[in-house]
Amino acid sequence: MSYESWILIVGSLAGVTCGITGCFLILRKLSMLADAISHTVLLGIVLAFIVSQSMSGIYMLIGAVVVGLLTAVGVQMLHHAGIQEDASIGVVFTFLFAVGVILITVFADDVHLDVDHALMGEITFVPWDLVQWGFLPELPKAFLMLSTVLVINLVIIGLFYKELKITSFDPQMAAAIGLPVLLIHYLLMGLVSITTVASFDSVGAILVVAMLIAPGASAYLLTNKLSIMLLLSALIGVSAAVIGYYLASWLDVSISGSMATVNGIIFALVFLFSPTKGLLSRKFTMKKLKMD
Amino acid sequence: MNPVVVENLTVAYQKKPVLSNVSFEVPEGKLIGIIGPNGAGKSTLIKAILGLIPKAAGEIKIYDKKYRPKDRVVGYVPQRGSVDWDFPTNALDVVLMGRYGHVGWFKRPGKKDTEIAMECLKKVGMEKYANRQISQLSGGQQQRVFLARALAQDAKVYFMDEPFVGVDAATERAIIELLNELKRQGKTVLVVHHDLQTVKEYFDHVMLLNVNTIAAGPTEEVFTLENLTRTYGGKLSFLEKDQLIVEQK
Ligand SMILES: Nc1ncnc2c1ncn2[C@@H]1O[C@H](COP(=O)(O)OP(=O)(O)OP(=O)(O)O)[C@@H](O)[C@H]1O
Ligand SMILES: [Mg+2]
Repeated sequence: MSYESWILIVGSLAGVTCGITGCFLILRKLSMLADAISHTVLLGIVLAFIVSQSMSGIYMLIGAVVVGLLTAVGVQMLHHAGIQEDASIGVVFTFLFAVGVILITVFADDVHLDVDHALMGEITFVPWDLVQWGFLPELPKAFLMLSTVLVINLVIIGLFYKELKITSFDPQMAAAIGLPVLLIHYLLMGLVSITTVASFDSVGAILVVAMLIAPGASAYLLTNKLSIMLLLSALIGVSAAVIGYYLASWLDVSISGSMATVNGIIFALVFLFSPTKGLLSRKFTMKKLKMD
Repeated sequence: MNPVVVENLTVAYQKKPVLSNVSFEVPEGKLIGIIGPNGAGKSTLIKAILGLIPKAAGEIKIYDKKYRPKDRVVGYVPQRGSVDWDFPTNALDVVLMGRYGHVGWFKRPGKKDTEIAMECLKKVGMEKYANRQISQLSGGQQQRVFLARALAQDAKVYFMDEPFVGVDAATERAIIELLNELKRQGKTVLVVHHDLQTVKEYFDHVMLLNVNTIAAGPTEEVFTLENLTRTYGGKLSFLEKDQLIVEQK
């Protein structure tokens, strides 16, 4: 397959995976926690390397889940102990991230990973980073990781759809009917962790937040139905990746930066022009009401 | 067997107890008002009974057993302000959530559940709004949807946190009709209520709460000026006092 199509495929996979998972972050107002996790999983990657002495995908996913959950549990515990939620996030996030940065510099010679790369990602190199899994031919590692994570996310969201929905809408009612609300929260944070790690190579820790939050935020303004929101979010994630790629080759700029920018532009357009919840339509209805 | 028995319940959020040594029993098939000033711990009491917050001490029994959600005997109407009404979902979908406890893991609510949910919407006069996005409902309509969701839970004991807040007189009448209907079916309904004027008319029993149980029992015995003054302290307005005196004559 051509170099260009690999980048498009990997970008789109990141768009879909992040877009779908991100919807629940929007609905639960957890964008900041997602931001934190996207950075602390760096520590997970380094630990995975130290333990396994390889950059194998499976170890990276496991490391991400462990540290992602550590982040979520740490924030929950501090918050429960009476510390404000944003302060809890700030403390846990910076601490775990800092440990990750220190470990990277200690093991810098061995880990093929520098902080810049982890933060910014480089989708340009994705087609050449090939691995061989089982009976499959050699394929780009980012492609394999993202496909695996997408399948995991779809299965989990499919299995626990109504539980995710009710714990997002009304956690008290959910607890009253006996659902393990906190466990479902951690399950979602686990998904966010593996999604982040799988998207790391392509878009990096900072831009992955844009991919997680922006499509869901746009979709939220376009529909009144959760299932449609998930669908639209996936669609917007893919569109941003594809448009972003062509924009980048046209302007000769960073591809991942361009993808994230397009996500931002789509959100701005939806925010202004959404037929029901857009700024203009709301202004327009107000005016019409005044004139009547 | 009494549906709800609370003994020496103490709950604290940080250090200061919000409920202290609360004890009361609730007879079956009655409408019970939980009355007390803001911050008295009414919502906390309900949450503690439902196991939503941990208790520091005490015993809570629902039909002689520790509360277990999977027994599905309890229905809950939270305070309306406790959820985000901009959530992308419609009225029918919210009522369907009342069926989730019956549906169980890994399954979706089926046709039967949808029928039940529609029926419950009908009971609260909201069937026309089944497909309406919940943010586009008025406050009173949202309250009715919450009520319909509790009905869909098909429980034996209901806890309702201020179901009359922000509803007009007609809706209030409709809701009280519905609660009386539940009562006739032998269900027990506990309602957090703020309007002292209507207490005698609505409730068979009352439970006066302000951190401690001030009094609990049949309305005509317990809902006295003396008990109210003890519950509300100086906060009971003169207007209410006058009216209560008039009613008591
Ligand atoms: N999550 C919380 N953390 C700490 N304190 C709380 C919390 N929730 C409630 N409180 C405190 O507990 C007390 C009782 O609160 P609760 O909500 O039970 O009162 P209420 O009787 O329902 O009041 P209202 O009539 O205003 O609804 C209040 O003093 C309140 O400040
Ligand atoms: Mg309350």
